[in-house]
Amino acid sequence: MANIFPRWSNWLPFKIIFCLLVLGGGVSAGVWYYLNPAYMRVGYQPAQPVPFSHKIHSGQLGMDCRYCHSYVETSAYSNIPTTQVCMNCHSQIKSDSPKLQLVRDSWESGKPVEWVQIHKTPEHAYFHHSVHVARGVSCVSCHGKVNEMEVVHHAETHSMAWCLDCHRNPENHLRPVSEVTNLDWEPPAGTTQQKIGAALVEKLHVNPPVKNCAGCHR
Amino acid sequence: MSKRILQHPAESTTGKRYWRSLGQLQDTPEFRSWMDREFPQGAAEIQGDDVSRRGFLQFMGASVALAGLSLSACRRPLKNLVPFTKGVEWSVPGKALFFTSAMPSRNGAMPLVVTTFDGRPTKIEGNPMHPVNQGTTDVWAQSSILDLYDPQRSKGYLFGRKPSDAASFEKALGELLKGTPDGAGLAFLTDGTVSPTQERLRAEVLKKFPKAVWASFEPNGSELEASAVSAAFGPGHHAVPVLQKADIILTVDRDILGVEGDIAAIRGFAAGRKADKAGTKMNRLYVVENRYTLTGGMSDHRLRLAASRSGAFLKALALQVAKLAGDAGLAKAASELKVAETKIKDRWVEECAADLVAHKGAALVLVGQRQPAAVQALGFAVNAALGGLGTTLELRKTAATPALSISALAEELRKGKTSALFILGGNPVFNAPADVRWADAQGAVKTVVHLSLESNETSVAAQWHVPAAHYLEQWGDALAVDGSHMVVQPVIMPLYNGLSSIELLAKVVGTEPDALALVQKTFVEAFSTQADLTSFWAKSLKAGFVEGSRASAVTPALQVDAVAKACAEASAVRVVENTFELVFITDSKVDDGRYANNGWLQELPDPITKLTWDNAALLSPAAAKKLAVETGDVLKLSVGEKSVEIAALVLPGHADDSISVAVGYGRTEVGSVGRKVGVDVFPLLTAAEGRFRVGVTAAKTGRKYALAVTQEHGALEGRGADITRQSTKQEWAENEANPDYFLKMGIDAHAPANFSLYTNPPLDDIHAWGMTVDLNSCIGCAACMTACQAENNIPIVGKEQVIGGREMHWMRTDRYFASEGGDADEPEMVSQPMMCQHCENAPCETVCPVNATVHSEDGLNVMAYNRCIGTRYCANNCPFKVRRFNFFDYNERSITSLYKWNLISDKGMPESLQMQKNPNVTVRMRGVMEKCTFCVQRIQEAKITSKVHAGDSGVQPRVPADVFTSACAQVCPTDAIVFGDLRNPDSKVAKLNKDQRSYRLLEYLNTQNRVSYLARIRNPNLKMPDAARAGSASKDAHGHHGEHQQPAAPKATNGGHA
Repeated sequence: MANIFPRWSNWLPFKIIFCLLVLGGGVSAGVWYYLNPAYMRVGYQPAQPVPFSHKIHSGQLGMDCRYCHSYVETSAYSNIPTTQVCMNCHSQIKSDSPKLQLVRDSWESGKPVEWVQIHKTPEHAYFHHSVHVARGVSCVSCHGKVNEMEVVHHAETHSMAWCLDCHRNPENHLRPVSEVTNLDWEPPAGTTQQKIGAALVEKLHVNPPVKNCAGCHR
Repeated sequence: MSKRILQHPAESTTGKRYWRSLGQLQDTPEFRSWMDREFPQGAAEIQGDDVSRRGFLQFMGASVALAGLSLSACRRPLKNLVPFTKGVEWSVPGKALFFTSAMPSRNGAMPLVVTTFDGRPTKIEGNPMHPVNQGTTDVWAQSSILDLYDPQRSKGYLFGRKPSDAASFEKALGELLKGTPDGAGLAFLTDGTVSPTQERLRAEVLKKFPKAVWASFEPNGSELEASAVSAAFGPGHHAVPVLQKADIILTVDRDILGVEGDIAAIRGFAAGRKADKAGTKMNRLYVVENRYTLTGGMSDHRLRLAASRSGAFLKALALQVAKLAGDAGLAKAASELKVAETKIKDRWVEECAADLVAHKGAALVLVGQRQPAAVQALGFAVNAALGGLGTTLELRKTAATPALSISALAEELRKGKTSALFILGGNPVFNAPADVRWADAQGAVKTVVHLSLESNETSVAAQWHVPAAHYLEQWGDALAVDGSHMVVQPVIMPLYNGLSSIELLAKVVGTEPDALALVQKTFVEAFSTQADLTSFWAKSLKAGFVEGSRASAVTPALQVDAVAKACAEASAVRVVENTFELVFITDSKVDDGRYANNGWLQELPDPITKLTWDNAALLSPAAAKKLAVETGDVLKLSVGEKSVEIAALVLPGHADDSISVAVGYGRTEVGSVGRKVGVDVFPLLTAAEGRFRVGVTAAKTGRKYALAVTQEHGALEGRGADITRQSTKQEWAENEANPDYFLKMGIDAHAPANFSLYTNPPLDDIHAWGMTVDLNSCIGCAACMTACQAENNIPIVGKEQVIGGREMHWMRTDRYFASEGGDADEPEMVSQPMMCQHCENAPCETVCPVNATVHSEDGLNVMAYNRCIGTRYCANNCPFKVRRFNFFDYNERSITSLYKWNLISDKGMPESLQMQKNPNVTVRMRGVMEKCTFCVQRIQEAKITSKVHAGDSGVQPRVPADVFTSACAQVCPTDAIVFGDLRNPDSKVAKLNKDQRSYRLLEYLNTQNRVSYLARIRNPNLKMPDAARAGSASKDAHGHHGEHQQPAAPKATNGGHA
């Protein structure tokens, strides 16, 4: 009786399994790498309707973050400034720059400028700005050096593991509360971030939720 | 150590038993199913819709294939951030902003503080500064926020049922009024709410149109009481019971703690009921009623008696009081009253009367508002004889000017001379008494203008329908129960351009319809003596009411001769033997039908019957036996030539010759929530016979009807006697020195000392959250359930799902009956709020395979929804049955399309309902478990605030005692629920936890609950014939048996682990 299956078919199941393993591994690796906030979010840099430069305002002019994001110390949200805040200065400075046309239109019409959201907390997580800045977590820890960004981009991963890195070891990020909005702050010479941070954890009784799910999920 | 037996001891069937339902008492298979299984057999197949499981599976393949196609577009969606153009005063994005306001109602407006987020009102609380409610509210105030956002609210003008607009209405109104310069042919019908501005505008309308007719109608109002007061004290008064001053209270057919009272009465009663330690003075409540009510549930002595026989009881009592107090006038008046031949328990009356007379000056008798005016007038005469006038019963001048009754108005309309009728609110086509024949009367009018929140039965019969503004949308004013002047402050612009009644009246008068200006004008006129009116207005607006504007009491003498005359002239209430009386009760949820489209109310279990989404004919077990019916059998109730068919619900403690049925159901012109819900019994209600009717025959039809009763859903195997504990004042006094008296009741008296095989990580946070529930104060009103629903974004699930046991309420109020040997005729009643007990040794946590439910350092049993995979192991392992599972996407689907195939059904929450959601609480999706969180969003807010306050000062951040509380505790009208930090010795909850009455549920399971209860104390009069039955713990099946007692387990460690 002739062989129904040719000889090479003996290896076929192994080849199929090998291919599936490679394929499965590839898919897993792809998901692991690409569907990760470190890839998906970091670097997200959408064009804003008004070409507002944080580099000029915060970096060169040295405006404090809280001039525009005025409720960061009182609310869960760090607010986007109203058109009125822009117009405080721009009714006099660069009052006819074409780049600001949208802002002036908004001021005339009462229709708000629709900024594009960059940092988005998932809906099952509740982040509170004021408690972080009140206890010495700087803007730079989560948003990067915005004062050097011409167009703001997503600088950190904002994944849960990233949150917990700091909640577990706050000394790596805490700084004196007075320096929270100073994005260029460095630990003074002769000391380290860890030393300053550890002293602050002790002094301020810093005790962020680590194992308490309800700290962020409620 | 001998082997520890972990089996639950069998429940004794002798002695005193606690039972949730007749099913439990008789141990029916249905009840066993509720106990043994989480959901009844076949619950998964109970379907309200057309798609079968097989059909669903067939479609599944297709939907999976389509899902694959849609993956191609997986770019991050662009989201915009939209700030204001100009900053808005006080508004901080993401922070709550609070406004004072008031909810108008016929019993006096409820003072409120409304929580808003970014301009959206989301939650209603009581105004803590107002003396009437002191920060508490009720079911109706809580759920009124949902009425505001009802997607089926009226959104525009209708003319002849066709869409019209405001301009056409203005034009039509102008022509209408031009036709009658003196107002001849004009008629107005308002509801019973009292608004000073509306009263002022009414005077202006009648000045401009002197021949206009003004009537008012409140379907569940109290006209008979008004005429009784008028007979006894002269016209222009109304009577206000002052329960906090009463030591002995007798109610006769009056649910003063429920639907026939107000929050002032409830708080007054609770104030006299606080039992801090043994021997504290407590009030005593005698209740005579035909069915179990919340008032009956709180009673120390209860007599079940048909409403038609209440007059006979009152006569016997009045004669006895007159005899003991030596009051000849009262004796004469009482003897004039003709009553139905009734056998009354003589000793009950004698001892009750003796107790009342012994507490002269601190005794109060309240007679039902459905009783004939003469009977009620006699009740006032009894109060006068007991020296209660001016102390326990205050009289005040009536604020509202008298108006025609609806019957008189209907007569007027039928003459055919009325050209225009303005109906400001209300729904008389649906709820006017049958003999008024309102629909005919309204039909005789050329033009009817109906102002209402929804397009209802009356709107459909009217030419013009005008959308009304919700009270949270427009300026108004109102009077509280104590008569104080309140401004109804809007918190949102009218969503659908609705008009308020004062704006409509202003249009009629021809003044500027600017609600704020109208309200301010009234304010200025009322308080013209104030030096600086602008700042006085601002101050009053901030406080929510005008300080010092409380109505003062007047002291008219009782005209005993007039009472005697009224008694003599009144004809006797007939009692037809071998028939039933039918008592029309105000529904605890939909009222007169006005809240029929409010899903929170429809799904709220009635405090007594635990019935949702329906009304039913309530009758006693004996009556049911006589008619050979059981719960769910449809009865035909007939009187005269009219009849209705309605399902029976057997209710222990009901009078045998009486049937009670709630009005307000069976609406036809209503949104989708209220459609086909319940049976309309208004056709049987007549103005002539009043709110109870005698000579009603009941017959079994043979049909069955499914009632969604939640009574057995949370049943814990035979543990009623263990989890609800009560004693009497006298027995407590005897056991004052025994710290274990309340701890070792029920099964805990037999259980060996606790030990644990687990070692848990320490709960070492600076806070330890805990709660305590005082069963002595809890009246079982279920306001906590509605508050929880509003605060925590809890969806409604619909009747079919409730029948399947899938209601989502995070907390429930369990109602237990207790009786010696399982007597179902005259049991006692106990209400017990039940929520997650936040066990420190939580059984749910150990069985979760994915750690979705874990413990926090501050002692909460927390749920991480995003981790939950929906195994439901936790719910199965919960001894308290407090966990709820999202079987469907209840938030995204309407309750009518739950079973529709995913791709063809409407998904998404209506935009207006989205606005109600609390932004600080996750809206849960299908497939996750949820439960009471102790309002963790409020806890986090408080903790964050303490940390922000501490800043870099170096102070240890700590939430001060009692600066915030949970939603259920905040709403509780009797302050029965207290929430706070057990580690803070200054907090109320820490103090209450040391109370001798404090006990925790199922202590022998060693779950170490963070919720504790305070045992209920009854205050029986030992001379009463039924005194031996009252709330005595020692007669429990598992009472104190010294030989069984084990060494006491360490008491609540609350926070630390022993």
